[in-house]
Amino acid sequence: MVRAVLGGDVERYAELVRRYRDRYARYAARMLGSADAAEDAVQDAFIRAYDQLAQCREPDNFAGWFFLILRNRCFAERRREARMGAGPGDIESRPIPASEQPDGMMDAKERLHALQQALLDLTPEQREVFVLKHVEGLSYDEIATRIGGSVPSLKMRMHRAYDRLRQRLKDRM
Amino acid sequence: MKAYDPLVKQLLDGELTLAELPPELQAEGSEALRLLAAVDRRAVMLPETLDARVMDALRTRARVVPVVPLARRSLGWITEPLELRLRVRPWALGAALAAAAALVLVLRGPGGMISRQGPAATVSALPESLLVRFVLYAPGAKQVGLAGTFNQWNQSATPLVRAGNDGVWTVTLTLPAGQHQYGFVVDGRRWVTDPAAPAVDDGFGRRNSVIAVGGTLRAGRVL
Amino acid sequence: MTTPRYGVLVLATVVCAGPLAAQRDVTARLAGRVPPAVAAAVRVLADSAAARGLPADPLVDKAIEGGAKGVAPERVVAAVRLVLGELDAAAAAIRAGRVAIPDAETIEAGAFALAAGMAGPQITELVGLSTDPYAPAATLRVAGTLTALGVPAPQTVELVRETIQSGGSGADLLALPAKLQSRVARGASPAQAAAGLARPDEARGPPPGQREPDKGHPPRNPHRP
Repeated sequence: MVRAVLGGDVERYAELVRRYRDRYARYAARMLGSADAAEDAVQDAFIRAYDQLAQCREPDNFAGWFFLILRNRCFAERRREARMGAGPGDIESRPIPASEQPDGMMDAKERLHALQQALLDLTPEQREVFVLKHVEGLSYDEIATRIGGSVPSLKMRMHRAYDRLRQRLKDRM
Repeated sequence: MKAYDPLVKQLLDGELTLAELPPELQAEGSEALRLLAAVDRRAVMLPETLDARVMDALRTRARVVPVVPLARRSLGWITEPLELRLRVRPWALGAALAAAAALVLVLRGPGGMISRQGPAATVSALPESLLVRFVLYAPGAKQVGLAGTFNQWNQSATPLVRAGNDGVWTVTLTLPAGQHQYGFVVDGRRWVTDPAAPAVDDGFGRRNSVIAVGGTLRAGRVL
Repeated sequence: MTTPRYGVLVLATVVCAGPLAAQRDVTARLAGRVPPAVAAAVRVLADSAAARGLPADPLVDKAIEGGAKGVAPERVVAAVRLVLGELDAAAAAIRAGRVAIPDAETIEAGAFALAAGMAGPQITELVGLSTDPYAPAATLRVAGTLTALGVPAPQTVELVRETIQSGGSGADLLALPAKLQSRVARGASPAQAAAGLARPDEARGPPPGQREPDKGHPPRNPHRP
């Protein structure tokens, strides 16, 4: 299908979009903090992928290559937000809300939200390895294949992420 | 705030179970697992309107010429019916390929995907075969075939197809690593070399174009 | 005394099996593609090649090519003989470069370099330059390609020497023809382009950090730790 598009059939690209639209949506959502942000990122990534389709080295592995483009887009998004600074409406700056439960313990939904907030406080690299392993369910080897790096270095990154998350969520859970 | 004990981190990594932790780490382990349990693993579905927005953006882009996207073509004029000139700026895709007007598009590595770690890793992942695209500008032609050492010089085995309406013909095929000689056959009778490719005497009074594909990986040594 | 004769018979069978198998292969490959007379002549030449440790495939390839191109039979045979001569000369030049038993790939690469216009002594020199991790086959292939692109043979040797001796990687060597073509496309003559590439810092191309993403590399992780 990639080759058909390369051959000039733009409309075939719609099939690619449909097929891969949701595959990495969760990854983008966890990386960026919201489904809306994910939608923007995935849309941009598809457009950029089309522009660079000729450089896709493996038409049979469009998914893997598209993932890299989306990944770059997610990293760029975080850099952009960091540069713009945290504003009042910015997700990043909102403190992790104290629980509304009478006994102070959070319910599941609040915990979900709290962890997502804490995730956004990690560095993008730490967040990514966490998301790929614990949200997408990849093994360290699979992560290494997808984004590069050695398994030991990925583990180190992950372990630092664990500690930061713990710190961020201290006493909340 | 103390860092997690290394054993607890292994628990988080899935390499240990809670039961395998020593008693003094059970509480910390449970706390860590509660953290993991808070991970949002729900699938995320994006609205279908995304598809339309993407396609709209693509359609309104300046005319994309997908056939030779990596090089700027300057199309020479045809001086006689079958003298075909195609000036292409070939890119060296990955440092390991010497392509002519054949544009190398695909690197099919053993692991399925090449992980970019710099030139050394790229070279060490050299595959045994590559997908190669051949392009020829032949607006007056009714059929164009590709014949070479890789298909027993059988022009009907590898016909080119028109790409768009501007006289460009193309075909993409997998070639094993190594060096190959080839030529284009226009309308079944006229043999034409690839103007931008190196050429050698074919021993019959004509010339063959040459393309080198990939590198040779032998006994762990690159090249 | 039947035993010794039996022994001799077995020995003869084993000795003949090799060339016979090769002959069958040549015959099979040429069947229907060239006239029988051409096939027979090529078989003889292929045997001769095998006996001298030369690859026979290039001969068969050339015959098939001639058949496909509709070339007259005697010209086909002449061309096949020419290929054999090139293989022979290439093997000799490679052996002079201290590779005692060159393999088929290296011989074919050498023959290609000769066909492109290089001379025996230059082949020898290139082989001498190709110590680990440079494989002679790749060096010869690159040199042949550069020469076929119009770089004068002596200059090709110099360019390859410069690239190897300035520590260029195997990939740098393989990239030379494409880099040359880039420069030629921008208006340089092959000789000028080669001269430009011989300068070490240019031969290696732009540093990795300056490579634009559009030049065919997949998107890079900007945060590589």
